[in-house]
Amino acid sequence: MSQLRKGTLEYCVLALLRDGQRYGFELVRTLSEADGLLVSEGTIYPLLSRLRRDQLVSTSWQESDAGPPRRYYQLTDAGKRALADFSDEWARFRDAVDALVTTQGEQDDERASRPAGR
Amino acid sequence: MNVQADPLVDDYLRRLNAAASALPAHQREELVCEIRDHLREALRQTPAGDKAAVRTALERLGPPEEIAAAATDPPPPGQPAAVSETNGLAIASVLLAVLWFAGIGAVLALVFGYRARSQIKNSAGKQAGSGLATAGIILGWIGITILIAGVILIAFHPNKPQ
Repeated sequence: MSQLRKGTLEYCVLALLRDGQRYGFELVRTLSEADGLLVSEGTIYPLLSRLRRDQLVSTSWQESDAGPPRRYYQLTDAGKRALADFSDEWARFRDAVDALVTTQGEQDDERASRPAGR
Repeated sequence: MNVQADPLVDDYLRRLNAAASALPAHQREELVCEIRDHLREALRQTPAGDKAAVRTALERLGPPEEIAAAATDPPPPGQPAAVSETNGLAIASVLLAVLWFAGIGAVLALVFGYRARSQIKNSAGKQAGSGLATAGIILGWIGITILIAGVILIAFHPNKPQ
């Protein structure tokens, strides 16, 4: 489960950047508050750094009205493509897993609801 | 509050720096910098000396060792693993050494062999063939020895044609 979470987290980061640039702290807070992702905030920074090295995101320093400049992250073209590919694949994957998990569950329920002694 | 002067933050960043010692220097500095900026943002509204708020912010970040481990981890599965391929120069080196070509092959085998070995070393596991390259180098030296022996034999042969 933790591997699944880890593998999808980077695409969650890319997805958060779909509608425009965000700065590190904002990204990290949003992800850590998403229910069920269960990430500790600190581990997102190495991920951001990896995404930048893979050139899926680019960064720029911008002045903020409160305090020192902030590092903003935005999607590159390669990042947009990676996100689009993942979205398609993820939809198929999710449907396949859902179909298996839910039908399996219903069968178990049926078995459990049959009267005993049959 | 000024996170620079906070002993808890200081201690946390020091632990992070130590835990990330396996990272290349620039990457480690950048990571520590990012975490410091994060804490500065998180504690911007916090009055100085509010230890509880600092502790909460640090807890949300997680243990520094975990962050360092995430930075040194190999990329998550699902990304294509680097395919290990045999270095072309290593193959060329062995071929040239075997073919010899009046000694020229042996010299080229050495050049290619040493270059192949350094390329394989720099590829960090992406290239294979260091055994082949070594074979090319050994055969290349043998070829050169044969070349030198041949030259000496011809030069000092008693029945030199007049």
